[in-house]
Amino acid sequence: MNLQMVGCTHREMGIDIRQQLTFDRSQTVEALGQWQSRFPDAELVLLSTCNRVEIYAVGVPKAEELIEALLDYQKVTASQVEGRMVTLADSKAVKYLYRVASSLESMVVGEPQILAQVKEAYQTAQEVGSTGPLLHDLFQSALRTAKRVAGETSLHKHRVSIPSVAISDLASCVFETFDGKHVLVIGAGKMADETLRYLRDAGDAVIHVVNRDAQRGQQLAKKWNGQYHEWDQLWEQLEAADLTISTTAANETIVTAADFEQKVAPGRYQRPLFILDLAVPRDFDSQVGNALGVYLYSLDDLTLACEKNRQTRAAELPAAETIIKRETERFVVEMNHRATAPVITGLREGLERPKDAELERLFCKLPNLDDQSRKEIEQFADRLVNKMLHPPLESLRDASQNGTPHGLLDALRNLFKLEN
Amino acid sequence: MDSGINMLCFSASYGIALALELSGLWARTRIGRVALLFSAIAGLVAHTWYLGRRVAEMPAAPLASQQDWYVLAAWALAIIYLTLKLYYPRSSMGLFLLPAVLALVGISRFATKTPLATFQAPRVWGQVHGVLLMLGTVTVLLGFLAGLMYLIQSYRLKHKLPTRGRLQLPSLEWLERVNSRSLGVATLLVGGGFFTGVLSRLAQQGEQSFVPWTDPVVLSLAAMFVWLVVAEGFRLVYPAARQGQKVAYLTIAAFLFLALVLAVMTWGDSLHLNADSESTEPPQASISTTILGLSNNGDLA
Repeated sequence: MNLQMVGCTHREMGIDIRQQLTFDRSQTVEALGQWQSRFPDAELVLLSTCNRVEIYAVGVPKAEELIEALLDYQKVTASQVEGRMVTLADSKAVKYLYRVASSLESMVVGEPQILAQVKEAYQTAQEVGSTGPLLHDLFQSALRTAKRVAGETSLHKHRVSIPSVAISDLASCVFETFDGKHVLVIGAGKMADETLRYLRDAGDAVIHVVNRDAQRGQQLAKKWNGQYHEWDQLWEQLEAADLTISTTAANETIVTAADFEQKVAPGRYQRPLFILDLAVPRDFDSQVGNALGVYLYSLDDLTLACEKNRQTRAAELPAAETIIKRETERFVVEMNHRATAPVITGLREGLERPKDAELERLFCKLPNLDDQSRKEIEQFADRLVNKMLHPPLESLRDASQNGTPHGLLDALRNLFKLEN
Repeated sequence: MDSGINMLCFSASYGIALALELSGLWARTRIGRVALLFSAIAGLVAHTWYLGRRVAEMPAAPLASQQDWYVLAAWALAIIYLTLKLYYPRSSMGLFLLPAVLALVGISRFATKTPLATFQAPRVWGQVHGVLLMLGTVTVLLGFLAGLMYLIQSYRLKHKLPTRGRLQLPSLEWLERVNSRSLGVATLLVGGGFFTGVLSRLAQQGEQSFVPWTDPVVLSLAAMFVWLVVAEGFRLVYPAARQGQKVAYLTIAAFLFLALVLAVMTWGDSLHLNADSESTEPPQASISTTILGLSNNGDLA
């Protein structure tokens, strides 16, 4: 098969070196073009994401040459990556790509973006013209395997990041749609920003930001096309809110149960309010969650939910691994069998040629044969050739299960005088 | 025209669909989802066929008897279930709706099978009366089930229980909307049903032209209607009753009234039913006439 994979991931290398090795799309196109000149007979695909840079190649004699090509392009010295580049060959490289595409090798196992990134890497290589038949089959089967893992396990169904669990798993149990919902953001922390990103994907909510620091609050409001309010409007905003995300850096509780009962609850008339208290220490008194219609989730609650989802994902891993193992075996057997194709063709041609010659000689000797008899004789000759070919072909197929049967192929070539 | 389809056929199909919904609490498979949908569709087709056959046998069906009335209500609820299943395939609403469908079919076994009377002008009022009350019943049931789901979903969120497990319920917002609307619609339908019943009585000639207010069915139905009006009034006056758990509680209370009406209608010692039982002929009243004490030809029993 002569498949090689070289690269590095978040596991082996820190972000400082990974950033130097990362390729954007234009760099990918350029690098693949350069490497095609360097390895004219090779098939190449470059996968570059923020967590990994990997080259998949067929027809490059040594992995070291690929590493050298990668480092040369990004002007990184070998000493900077010494001992931290991963190299895999043949079935191990196949299995690894399947695991990458199925997001089993991702930093967050089960995250869905990697599949699109693998697909894009393959499409870019196709556009450049650096792929070939083997990488085509490999990437097609990797995408198919990843879809199988996604469809036949629930690995991707359980979210594990706090903002995604907060919005997609919990807030969506309260709200049918986020369109037009009054979302109040208290504070302008990083977590609020990330949560708003998920929220914006989920619907067109109306964002309101309340923050002590007007400048930061206005920045956040502007970024999400929302409205900034002064800190003293906190109670009015809480009264109007459907969903509240609180991420202040305050050292003490901002909304006590008494405050909520006196200043907020009377105007809400028990209208449901979903509160995500993502601050440490908490911004909302936990007793606020006892008020009718209030659903209060703290960072601890969300972390617990994420952990449960992680455990559920972990329980799905064996099923995913089984799919990947079977698909890898299938691909490897198929590739090994494909390597025997020239010998099989040679064998068949080696028997077909004398068969045709002998038939022609026989029909010349028996010119009075009717069509039916000629057909019967031709069928007899075909059956004889097939029966003679059957044992060596079966032996080849069996031997292909454990790798390319080079010894057997050589023996057949020698025995039947086949050309290489 | 005996097609061999009876109540057991569609009950069994709904039963299988319910069993598959229950099995979904442990494991959800594509085959299971297809089988569930197939069972529910098969049940509805058999159910429709059964009602169609009743119409062919008796033109006034499917409101010809208490039994038909219950079977028709179950059919309407089954259509709602199937529609919701197609819109929300991953939802576990079937665990709530299918038992209600089966319960209506089950109660129909205890209800009378009196055939429909011949068509007369006042009978039009009777038919309208029966249809409105049947739809009112389905609406109250739907509101009640949405209320139950709301309370369960709200409890799970309040107590930080997993909400994305096998038991998947709609959002609180959706349930509250169904709850709220069902209460309003049920008030109109039950009110319409009640007053068309009164009108159909008053449309009678001579001595029959009065309403038997003391009849238990009439009394319980009137109480239910009054409750629905009060609940709607309460919601108009008190904003907190327009949203959240209070709406759920109101729809659950409405269901209790409905259960009382249905129990009295099916098993109660109604003035009309007593008269029927004294008759030398088989009982001839439809459900509409039964509720307001009308006999099959419009006479007071």
